[in-house]
Amino acid sequence: MIEMHDVWKVYSNGVEALRGIDLRVDQGEFVYIVGPSGSGKSTLIKLMYREEVPTHGIVLINGINVKRVRDWKIPHVRRKIGVVFQDYKLLPNLTAFENVAFAMEAVEAPRRKIRTRVEEVLELVGLTERMHALPSQLSGGEQQRVSIARAIVNNPTFIIADEPTGNLDPENSWDIMYLLEEINIRGTTVVMATHNKDIVNTMRQRVIAIEQGVIVRDELGGEYGYED
Amino acid sequence: MKIDTFFRHIREASRGIRKNSWMSFAAIGAVAVTLFIFGFFLIFTFNISYLTKELDKQVAIRVSLRDGLTADEQEKLLENIQKDPMVSKANLVPKEQGIRDLKQQWGKDSDFLDQLQDGDENPLPDMIHVIPKNPEQIKQLEAQLEKNSSQVEHADSGGNVTDRILRFSTFMRTVVLVFSLALAILAAFLISNTIKLTIIARRREIEVMRLVGASNWFIRWPFFIEGAFIGMIGSIVPIGVSIGVYYFFHQILSDGETYGLFKMMPVLDLSTRLGITTLLMGIFIGSLGSMISVRRFLKI
Repeated sequence: MIEMHDVWKVYSNGVEALRGIDLRVDQGEFVYIVGPSGSGKSTLIKLMYREEVPTHGIVLINGINVKRVRDWKIPHVRRKIGVVFQDYKLLPNLTAFENVAFAMEAVEAPRRKIRTRVEEVLELVGLTERMHALPSQLSGGEQQRVSIARAIVNNPTFIIADEPTGNLDPENSWDIMYLLEEINIRGTTVVMATHNKDIVNTMRQRVIAIEQGVIVRDELGGEYGYED
Repeated sequence: MKIDTFFRHIREASRGIRKNSWMSFAAIGAVAVTLFIFGFFLIFTFNISYLTKELDKQVAIRVSLRDGLTADEQEKLLENIQKDPMVSKANLVPKEQGIRDLKQQWGKDSDFLDQLQDGDENPLPDMIHVIPKNPEQIKQLEAQLEKNSSQVEHADSGGNVTDRILRFSTFMRTVVLVFSLALAILAAFLISNTIKLTIIARRREIEVMRLVGASNWFIRWPFFIEGAFIGMIGSIVPIGVSIGVYYFFHQILSDGETYGLFKMMPVLDLSTRLGITTLLMGIFIGSLGSMISVRRFLKI
């Protein structure tokens, strides 16, 4: 669960990226974050995986106040969050399998468990055949599926996706969306910032629209609402 | 730390060194140059402290006894002095031994002593040789011994010379210590810049590790090991060269006529200490350097 109360984010250059955000995302929800470029979407997303801390206000991730939590405990907070990026952020010299396993090694999971769990999630994202390929040998859609596999391998309570279809053609974008939908159905919360009008208008979910750092719309099964 | 994790860190560290072999080579070079300078400082420090200890050993009070004390009285006085908490050691030097010691000290130039020693007449008094526990208390002890004027003619600690030597060596030790520490920190920063380049190459890895919730120490360990290893390798050449140079100078300076004041530490003794200290310093500098540079990428 993510909760925000009167959250402000002012960057050191004086830019007010967020101005008094109140928000609550419950376990199992699927939420789109939409809005024009520079509206504060990215900042909002970054607060959710504790890449940024609020200048003012309270952000609670699974009940933990991210501003108060001690530095050495932050990794433990992050283990409950899977993050997916537009540019995948895969390690180029590791295979698909190794990229996913890396996330489990990093949290010191037992080696026996790693093998079975990684194979399991690679099967879920449909990459069993391609698991020994390097990222450079995979298509954009396949790379994004590896990064989703990496995000869910440690069983997070929610997935934060920052424009996960931004670099993909429509066909691959839909594959990714079906995958995220399936993950959501299995109980994981999904929060996704997007510019993709078709997806938002077709796969109806809760839509939070943000403009100039303020939430202007928050409706269940809403539309994208912008022209781009 | 789990054993799997431990081996993973070792693997990652060696991968880091091999993948950035040129950078690692440069870092090893930087460590080597620094430790080379450091090695000479150590030679200096160790010798100063060796010399000081040798001097401390020589710091002593010569208590001249009045003529005409009986053997019993002398024995009693000696016992009293030995009981003093400031005294580490005291022993009686009868005048006959005193003259023998003097003769030995002067060597071939001791002829004049024969002339002084007119027949059985010995010009020296009986003496008690007192070594203080703490050389810095020597003046205090001297004054106290002199108070017993019925039996003690004079107590002499060698005056200002010992005092000055003591002050000088304390001063030198401090100077060298401060200088070495400053040098080490400077070196760590120098090396951190080199290691930083190997870390930049792995920025994405660190970023991903952070995102999936790796603990900071999990991220640091491979770099820590890598730095320590670079420091260790970088210390080998300077250790060898410093010992070689010391051996050479030791041969020249300690050969033939040696003078009491100028004593060099034995080569084997110095080599062991120099080797261990430089090696530890290398490991310290290397790991500190990589900690400094990894810190910048670990913003939480």
